[in-house]
Amino acid sequence: MKNRFFLVIATVAAVALMTSCGKVPQAGIDAANAAIDSAKVVEADIYLPGDFTALNDSMTVIMQDIEAQKSKLFKSYKTASAKLEALKAQAGTVATSAVAKKAEVKAEAEAGLVSVKALLDEVKGLIAKAPRGKDAKAVLEQMKGEVDAAEATITEAQTLFDAGTNYMQVADKITATTKQLNDLKAELEEVMAKVKR
Amino acid sequence: MKRSVVKKVFLLVFVFVILAGLAWLFVNLVPDPPVKELEEARIAIADARSKNSVIYSAKLFKEARSFYDSAMISWKTENRRFILFRDYERVRKFSLLASKKAAEATKRTIAKEKDMKESLKRDIDRLNSELKAFEKIFTSVPLPMEMKKKNARGKLLLKEAEIAYDKGQYVSGNVKVSEANDYITDSYEVAREKLTNYYRNFSRWQEWTRATINESKANNSYAIVVEKIPGVCHLYYNGVKKYTFEAEFGKNWMGDKVSKGDGATPEGRYRVTKKLQNGSTKYHKALMINYPNEQDLEEFRQRVSSGSIPSNSKIGGLIEIHGDGGKGGNWTEGCVALRNPDMDTLFRLVSNGTPVTIIGSTITLTQVMAGE
Repeated sequence: MKNRFFLVIATVAAVALMTSCGKVPQAGIDAANAAIDSAKVVEADIYLPGDFTALNDSMTVIMQDIEAQKSKLFKSYKTASAKLEALKAQAGTVATSAVAKKAEVKAEAEAGLVSVKALLDEVKGLIAKAPRGKDAKAVLEQMKGEVDAAEATITEAQTLFDAGTNYMQVADKITATTKQLNDLKAELEEVMAKVKR
Repeated sequence: MKRSVVKKVFLLVFVFVILAGLAWLFVNLVPDPPVKELEEARIAIADARSKNSVIYSAKLFKEARSFYDSAMISWKTENRRFILFRDYERVRKFSLLASKKAAEATKRTIAKEKDMKESLKRDIDRLNSELKAFEKIFTSVPLPMEMKKKNARGKLLLKEAEIAYDKGQYVSGNVKVSEANDYITDSYEVAREKLTNYYRNFSRWQEWTRATINESKANNSYAIVVEKIPGVCHLYYNGVKKYTFEAEFGKNWMGDKVSKGDGATPEGRYRVTKKLQNGSTKYHKALMINYPNEQDLEEFRQRVSSGSIPSNSKIGGLIEIHGDGGKGGNWTEGCVALRNPDMDTLFRLVSNGTPVTIIGSTITLTQVMAGE
């Protein structure tokens, strides 16, 4: 009688053990999600969009794995837990890299603003020195208009830079203005070289 | 004792067989979740995202995401039920829908992105051509600075659109090109319309010029013809052009002078009324003309009576051809400015009564529009 009782208990315990092995790693899920959110806070989605998307994709894969384990008779969340740990670490790395990338783009934009302003002054100086013949008069007026437009764009870029919203946009504006001013400079230098000859 | 052992073994075997049978049944009755379908949906969505479906096929992409989320929610719900009572059919259905929508989003994105890329390239090329045309035609026509600034702003925005195109950012490129289009087309159209309107007086200009040159020929005397569009002042003698000097005008040079302070240089047939030099003018030397003449007065009265200008407007005066020109722009209050050496020549050769005709141009609008 006693033996029979132990046999039943052992059987039930074995079944229970087999069906309820492992718990959903909720703490790991929360920590990984928090790490991804922290990466977004430091604008990883703007400065490292590819890496940020990869983080979210990895999280989706892990959530699928967890649900797949939940569907099984014999559950194991060991792999998912390990992946969550790795993802958390990866999110931390992405966040750090995003901060560095933002600082790099900011420094580039800042240097770009300085050099484009210097270029603007140089072009203004060349216009002031340019010969004022009959044909040059209208061309110079046109150039003055272009210099004014360039100056307005530089002001816009400076405002964006000061607001700190997106340094990528600042960099694009600087590139466009630099191209425009370099074209003007080349045109003016050509005219002045012709006059010298 | 022996019977008891046999009974125990039998019982154990019986329990084992029952348990094994139950376990076999259990394992076989547990439904399989659609892991493969969900994985396919996830991959399809990731693919759609990497192709920029979030931008180009936002609605379809959102639908795909929504079906995927529904699949995951259904899966979680089913997983909460007793293992033998789970039904993953809805999960499978949502997964397949997510895959389908994501694939559609990718397909549409590829087509849309291609279209957008081509249309952006077309617009960039078209606007560059318009810019070239503007520069060819209107650079030689001294237009108001406001129009040139508009054009220059458009040119810069077009450069930003080109950068976006090079980076494959076709959506932001299209936004930039659309802004650039507004500035460039607007400045081009306004300039063309303004010039066309200005040319309505062309027959009058031709008539005045002919009459002035004929008068010079008939009287064997000097005559001055000033052309605003090319920015020149010609001196005729005996009907023959002897000198051409560069000239600058009022800031608002395009059009006839309407009232005092409008910054316009008058158009019409005038005569030199006074020669000013040696400190009697602040502009080196000057030839005063008889603005307003009878025709100017008549037109001014008509404008006041029709209400096109305020009744307290004044017609203005003291219009001269003077020195201190060569500044590289139209800067006077309505006078004609020449470089000082040119002014010296003109001053020396003309006298009181010399005819002075101020017109827009002797070349036709077609020639101007062709950039000749």
